[in-house]
Amino acid sequence: MSDLDRAIELLKDCKIVPEEQVRDICLRAQELLIEERNIEVVDTPVTICGDIHGQFHDLITLFEHGGQCPDTNYLFLGDFVDRGFYSLESFLLLLCLKVRYPDRITLIRGNHESRQITTVYGFYDECIRKYGSANVWRSCCDVFDYLALGALVGGSGGVFCVHGGLSPAVDKLDQIRLIDRKQEVPHEGAMCDLLWSDPDDIEGWGVSPRGAGYLFGGDKVKEFNHENDISLIARAHQLVMEGYKEMFDGEIVTVWSAPNYCYRCGNVAAILTIDDGLGRTYEIFEAAPQESKGMPAKKPAADYFL
Amino acid sequence: MSYRFPSHDPEPLYSFTSESLGKPTVSRNGWSVYSSKRPIMTADEIDRATARIGIPMPEMIFGKNYIVVAHESGWSLGFNAVDALDLVVKHGNPEGGLVKVAYSEAWMNDKKKTSDEVHQVVKPFDWTYTTSYQGTPAPSKVTWEPTSQSIPLDKLRRPDPILFFEEVVLFEDELGDNGIAMAEVKVRVMEERLLLLCRLFVRVDDVLFRIRDTRLFIEFEDNTILREYTVKQDSYENVKRKIPHSARDSGLFLRDANWIAEKMPVIQTVTEKSALSSS
Repeated sequence: MSDLDRAIELLKDCKIVPEEQVRDICLRAQELLIEERNIEVVDTPVTICGDIHGQFHDLITLFEHGGQCPDTNYLFLGDFVDRGFYSLESFLLLLCLKVRYPDRITLIRGNHESRQITTVYGFYDECIRKYGSANVWRSCCDVFDYLALGALVGGSGGVFCVHGGLSPAVDKLDQIRLIDRKQEVPHEGAMCDLLWSDPDDIEGWGVSPRGAGYLFGGDKVKEFNHENDISLIARAHQLVMEGYKEMFDGEIVTVWSAPNYCYRCGNVAAILTIDDGLGRTYEIFEAAPQESKGMPAKKPAADYFL
Repeated sequence: MSYRFPSHDPEPLYSFTSESLGKPTVSRNGWSVYSSKRPIMTADEIDRATARIGIPMPEMIFGKNYIVVAHESGWSLGFNAVDALDLVVKHGNPEGGLVKVAYSEAWMNDKKKTSDEVHQVVKPFDWTYTTSYQGTPAPSKVTWEPTSQSIPLDKLRRPDPILFFEEVVLFEDELGDNGIAMAEVKVRVMEERLLLLCRLFVRVDDVLFRIRDTRLFIEFEDNTILREYTVKQDSYENVKRKIPHSARDSGLFLRDANWIAEKMPVIQTVTEKSALSSS
């Protein structure tokens, strides 16, 4: 058994691998990812997965439902880390699978695959807690910078996959191909928009009431799909109770793959399989039972709050 | 006893009668506490709530969660997400008044290089979901008047056995990964009294912190009913400065609503009392 296969076995048991090996895996992943284009071309059939957010046991459940890699061809839409308790194990397992079976799993970048966001939302703290230093976090962040920004599934009439959504700076996929992606996620521009924007029931483009970030309407989705000869945009980024949500006459779908998000939302998760005829099959799954996984108990501890 | 959420809505999303509230989880001296803890709302329910409330709903909305404190005479005060969200500022001028994320100016300036049509802010509202919600009263059974009394903290500090404890989240939003807004209700019932806390906690990264606390105190012996509403706000920088220098992980402090609540100045506090109707 190779070192890599051993690491995969360890990680599947939710055990961490030694720091030196993490560094090695990250370097090998970078060598692979640097060869990938900003928009990776992916063959059908493929199973598309949304946000994972460190919910390792649910990722294992996802593989039980969708089939193991490499038997099933996977495409993950980003947000592997933060929020959940096992960002490290989740991301490293996906990364090991990428290095081991590069043609059977595609990882694209989510807005949480960023130095700035991971220092606020948990992944950085988790690395410090598990390794006592920031080295592993740094290695992982270096990998983040090389992740593709999107994927195109199934050629003509196919599916454009991206973490967040569209950008007013991008009418054609070729414009994404020109981005220099090997950097921290910037605060503005096309790369930022692709990872952050959301569809909304509006016409055209809008700015979020927060004062930054785009919203885009159904007309923009239809224009984009027509212009680029695609039938569907598959994106993640937003929690959906039902696991997935199609909008605008089925021309865009949000896929969410973290069941019982943050261990308290009670939502189901979904994965989307695109077959050779570009047909869509959604598979729904529920969270792994909490009690057996050392998760926080459901019953809150009584507390003498004032 | 009948109880409806929300009382003013001709077609309520959720209406609670004595049947639908179910069995009280605890009862003392004619006082009962009801609670419900369910998953977030479905897409359909969110669409209906959005149409009714008129603002986009938070990412995680626990619309079926509630805690209700009720007396057998008909007096009650309940806490639920939809009524709380109804009190969020729904229209605002994005140029003033409304909070913006830390990098908004840079982001907007960059946009000026592109076309104007895309600069329109969609449905400006208080996206931090700051609400002045102080509970949903039983219709025409509950009146409040000012009082100089305050909630007796000394009694509440005593380690009297807690007969019942519950905490339910009403809503939570990650503010597009710019912080957090969370509304949560906790209640603890002791032999002689109960305390409920409904807390809204807002952190906008690198901008500000906000807390809106509503406390409900009831003394079973004499049916004393006190409600205290406290507003706290401070800049992100000011709070951050209070983190002990020895702290290894400042992030832990900035996520701890209890620690932050102690470090922030009180902007406003109002205490009111209510009484059971004498019928």
